[in-house]
Amino acid sequence: MESMKQETVQDSAIPHTPRVGVYICRCGGNISDVVDTDHVAEICRLIPGVAVSKVHTFMCSDPGQQTISDDIRQEKLDRVVVASCSPFLHELTFRGAVMRSKMNPYLYEHVNIREQCSWAHKHDPRGATAKAIQLISAAVGKLSHSTPLEKIRLPNHRRAMVVGGGPAGMKVAADLAACGIPVVLVERSDRLGGKLPILNRLFPNGQAATELAAKLESQVLSNPKIEVLLKSEVTTVSGFIGNFEVAIHGDFGPSGHATDIHTTVGVIVMATGFKPYVPTDGEFNFKRHPAVVTTVDFNALLSKQKGDARTFQFDGRCIRSIAFIHCVGSRQVDGVHTPAVDGRINTYCSRVCCTTVLNQALQVRQRFPDTRVYDLHQDIRTYGRGHEEYYTDASRAGVVFYRYHGQEPPEVTNTNGPTSPLRISVKDYLSWGEELEIEADMVVLAVGMTPGPCETLVDQLKLPRGEDRFLQEIHPKLRPVEISVNGVLLAGTSQAPMNIQETLAAAGAAAVKARAMFTTEEVELNPYVAEVDAHLCEGSGACLTQCEYDGALAMVEILQDGHTVRKAHVNAGLCVGCGACVAVCPTQAINVSGWRIDQYDAMVDGLVRDLTPTTI
Amino acid sequence: MIASANSQRHKDAVIIGGGIAGLQSALDLADQGYKVAVVERQASIGGRMISLSKVYPTLDCASCITTPKMSAAAHHENIELLTYTEVNSITPGPEGHTLVVTHKPTYVNADKCIGCRLCEYACDTEYPDVFEQGLGSVRAISVAFTNAIPQKAVLDADYCLACGLCLRACPTDAIEFDQQPRQESIHADVVIVASGFQLNALTIKPQYGAAHNQNFISPLALERLLAPHGPYGRVLRPSDGKIPDSIAFVQCAGSRDQTIGVPYCSRVCCMYAIKQAMLLSGSLPTADITIYYMDIRAFGKGYEQFYQNAKAMGINFVRGKVSKIDSAGQDDLLVHVELTEEPQDCVRKQRHDMVVLAQGMIPQWNPTGFSPVRIGSDGFVATPDPISPCSTNVPGIFVAGTAAGPKDIVDSIAEAGAAAMEAARYLSMRAMPGHSPRTVALEMMA
Ligand SMILES: Cc1cc2nc3c(=O)[nH]c(=O)nc-3n(C[C@H](O)[C@H](O)[C@H](O)COP(=O)(O)OP(=O)(O)OC[C@H]3O[C@@H](n4cnc5c(N)ncnc54)[C@H](O)[C@@H]3O)c2cc1C
Ligand SMILES: Cc1cc2nc3c(=O)[nH]c(=O)nc-3n(C[C@H](O)[C@H](O)[C@H](O)COP(=O)(O)OP(=O)(O)OC[C@H]3O[C@@H](n4cnc5c(N)ncnc54)[C@H](O)[C@@H]3O)c2cc1C
Ligand code: SF4
Ligand code: SF4
Repeated sequence: MESMKQETVQDSAIPHTPRVGVYICRCGGNISDVVDTDHVAEICRLIPGVAVSKVHTFMCSDPGQQTISDDIRQEKLDRVVVASCSPFLHELTFRGAVMRSKMNPYLYEHVNIREQCSWAHKHDPRGATAKAIQLISAAVGKLSHSTPLEKIRLPNHRRAMVVGGGPAGMKVAADLAACGIPVVLVERSDRLGGKLPILNRLFPNGQAATELAAKLESQVLSNPKIEVLLKSEVTTVSGFIGNFEVAIHGDFGPSGHATDIHTTVGVIVMATGFKPYVPTDGEFNFKRHPAVVTTVDFNALLSKQKGDARTFQFDGRCIRSIAFIHCVGSRQVDGVHTPAVDGRINTYCSRVCCTTVLNQALQVRQRFPDTRVYDLHQDIRTYGRGHEEYYTDASRAGVVFYRYHGQEPPEVTNTNGPTSPLRISVKDYLSWGEELEIEADMVVLAVGMTPGPCETLVDQLKLPRGEDRFLQEIHPKLRPVEISVNGVLLAGTSQAPMNIQETLAAAGAAAVKARAMFTTEEVELNPYVAEVDAHLCEGSGACLTQCEYDGALAMVEILQDGHTVRKAHVNAGLCVGCGACVAVCPTQAINVSGWRIDQYDAMVDGLVRDLTPTTI
Repeated sequence: MIASANSQRHKDAVIIGGGIAGLQSALDLADQGYKVAVVERQASIGGRMISLSKVYPTLDCASCITTPKMSAAAHHENIELLTYTEVNSITPGPEGHTLVVTHKPTYVNADKCIGCRLCEYACDTEYPDVFEQGLGSVRAISVAFTNAIPQKAVLDADYCLACGLCLRACPTDAIEFDQQPRQESIHADVVIVASGFQLNALTIKPQYGAAHNQNFISPLALERLLAPHGPYGRVLRPSDGKIPDSIAFVQCAGSRDQTIGVPYCSRVCCMYAIKQAMLLSGSLPTADITIYYMDIRAFGKGYEQFYQNAKAMGINFVRGKVSKIDSAGQDDLLVHVELTEEPQDCVRKQRHDMVVLAQGMIPQWNPTGFSPVRIGSDGFVATPDPISPCSTNVPGIFVAGTAAGPKDIVDSIAEAGAAAMEAARYLSMRAMPGHSPRTVALEMMA
């Protein structure tokens, strides 16, 4: 990439005395119930450089932000501190606010006096108040050494890679391509559709899964902007938003031979889907009796049923009764369920299996009236639009319900050989906790969802996973399709269990974010990356030994006063600003912009500043 | 057609409803450069979410995470907010849709009002505060709530005595008693309906007798009681201001019941009841908290774990059907519940200080009669196309959030993004050579 200009660390002497505005948020009581915000404001006025110090009920609200803008204008502020909640929530809000008032956004500091003061020291209001003052004082100290910074601008490759060709991946690709954005769609299997081909009649509208798959597929295949790569996988990926370098290996060569392609994309969408949970051998007698199957198997069995038999057929036998067991591989309980090889249990609910069971149970009752159906559940979670109907219809169609507690899952045993019925013992809480035994010719296990395979991308892009191993979104309420790696988006069940409609909605949400990223020719990155002072750098290369990010740092030869010298050089796109290099530089030639050593020193001075009113 | 279109205001997209879904759709479209107007009938944007206390499953303070979205929308150069505005009609046409809206009189000149609230302080006519669910009171002229957007005073003509105190107090002469409703027609290429939900009546099940006792409270009112900046600053029961020490949540109290016309599940009440129970046990550590339920529907990401945490905190989960609720003594309530879990007491009667009824979610706005947009049998906007879950029956009109059925914040946000994408897709096809909106409409209908 084009070399960055090697900026020197600006002289820390500030040309004029800064005028800092300090704003303290009550957070509607979240802060002011513990921290004495008025006192904090009063004391902060005593910090050298502070021109204005004010309190507001909600700094983030419009009037709160307006106060800052007004003061920047009227009080000629050139630096601003807001002491409120976590910067994770509002640093960008306030940076935006100062920017609108034509102040450099990097002359803004955010102090967290909610999570770090009022919440952490709920029972020590005095301590919390004192700490708030110290933290603000540190921020003011830092600001007095801050210099204006500019965002880093880098080229943006207008092309998206979508990984996974299930409903989520197909929807994202179709949406983006319809807006003119080229897409490469990478699918590891030999067909598009994800799980759709193994599904049957879909809830909530009884549509054939194949029909839905065909519609989505035709949108993908008919758009020349989408390059579909089947039987292929991403082998390496590196880079950053706007500039991801990927290598894809697959059987897509002209003669069907394995080939590798290398390409650059601006955005990566993870639509890697889910894997149905596979019960362990013997779990509910799975693999110990041929008639213990999963809901996935049962979908296939349902579509294979022929003729007008009044009884469900399996292995050439009439199945007179079927027992469905919910929550297999989901809602597992510590101490009850055996952990998987990685030591984990799946404590989460898989969201789709309840309605899946009722959909299947109802189909059995409607098509095979001589087959009885039992349903063993903990809760019936038919939450969605058109889902509850499956529950009421199944009840009306004679499905018999039993309720077990998670700590006491039903037990399934063979009564005799592989063609004999199975025995299910359950403590049923619809009949006051009675221990019941049910015999059934077949047992269907409602298997949950586990995350799809995407280790290569997870490892190479350092994508976070949650406790449940699904990809972890930035904010579970507000930003469900974004992940902490900029330029990577999540679509569908790679993020969490969901049904097809929800998957398509999540895919649309990811597509709209991807499209927004392509509205500019360049991507903008925060300037918090390492910077080298070419005059101080003696080319020792110590920094390189510490840097963990491939390509972020390199030694380059440059001409200085007629001599060729070795100097460290930063690739701003790849540097994450962790500062590992700063710690080892023998000449202190490398610093992280916005977090320079002199700024830290000033913060420490600020922390220990004596602010008793008499010292002024 | 063309002539009148010229005299109209034109937008790429109009969003009906400034709740979290509408705002997210607006932001997602505006971020792509489209010009968007948000039509909101209330005096402030923010919808239901801004009035919540904390939100499951993160227990983030709702104000803290809603205000940035509100503020981002307010400051976005491509977004125009039309608050206190009602939609009269949406007429689709071959060249886009014509919306007729009415700007209701606020009796305050928005250009002059600086939001100083001096009028509000001066006014001495009070009435129950709708934002606080009637728990507090508000002046006849006021800014909707602390973090409302826009920060402009609105005068409520139903309560105003026209005494003129505000007129004298206003430093900018912004108050205009003679304002009239103003109609406007807006031309838009796409429309997103994000008109949200409301709760059905607390009294919908006569057997619960909520009409006869003040200590039945709406979950929305409890949200306000639990909010750090709520009306009382703490949880008090309405009848006598007592700090309640036994609180019951009765689930499905307006849902999953064909006899009341709401056969479906309202999807969020299990989770908010758990959340409210957790928050209550934080603010009233010694109180007994019981949740009577049929099924706990903790289906979302992290929700089951949230439920298990609540159980571990000692919140009582009792599975059973509440058959009726009587008054017990003056203010207390006696909950009759049919239990299926324990053989000892099939019908238990339990006294509580306060009962929270999980009212059902129903649509807030019925587009029938205002537009050709069709609704489903549940009253929410119908979405006939399975591969485009945000499309309505009318090409170029999309739907997002709870306008298309109950859902929580995260699902509303995802759907809002998807609706914005569908809209963007429609708009960019329109922009392609050879495609007029008419042909797009025909293609999409095919
Ligand atoms: C038994 C059962 C029944 C169901 N019934 C219904 C129903 O009736 N109605 C309903 O709405 N929902 C139903 N669902 C849910 C539905 O299957 C999912 O919502 C949907 O499949 C999710 O789509 P997706 O694209 O996220 O994932 P998937 O369908 O899993 O697709 C992911 C795709 O990505 C590919 N992939 C994965 N990793 C990689 C990689 N590293 N590189 C390249 N490609 C990769 C996979 O091969 C696959 O093609 C059911 C689920 C189950 C288990
Ligand atoms: C008691 C309670 C607690 C909850 N707690 C949580 C929680 O903790 N976590 C969570 O995820 N979810 C929670 N929810 C659900 C959450 O409130 C909703 O998911 C969310 O508010 C839906 O947003 P929306 O934008 O779809 O609708 P709304 O918030 O209803 O917004 C719709 C907007 O449209 C406006 N409008 C309607 N009709 C018109 C019209 N004709 N013209 C102009 N404007 C119109 C309305 O005034 C409103 O501002 C809770 C719900 C309740 C009832
Ligand atoms: S959806 Fe139903 S079956 Fe699936 S894990 Fe959740 S509760 Fe269990
Ligand atoms: S979410 Fe829970 S309380 Fe609400 S209707 Fe559904 S099952 Fe009943």
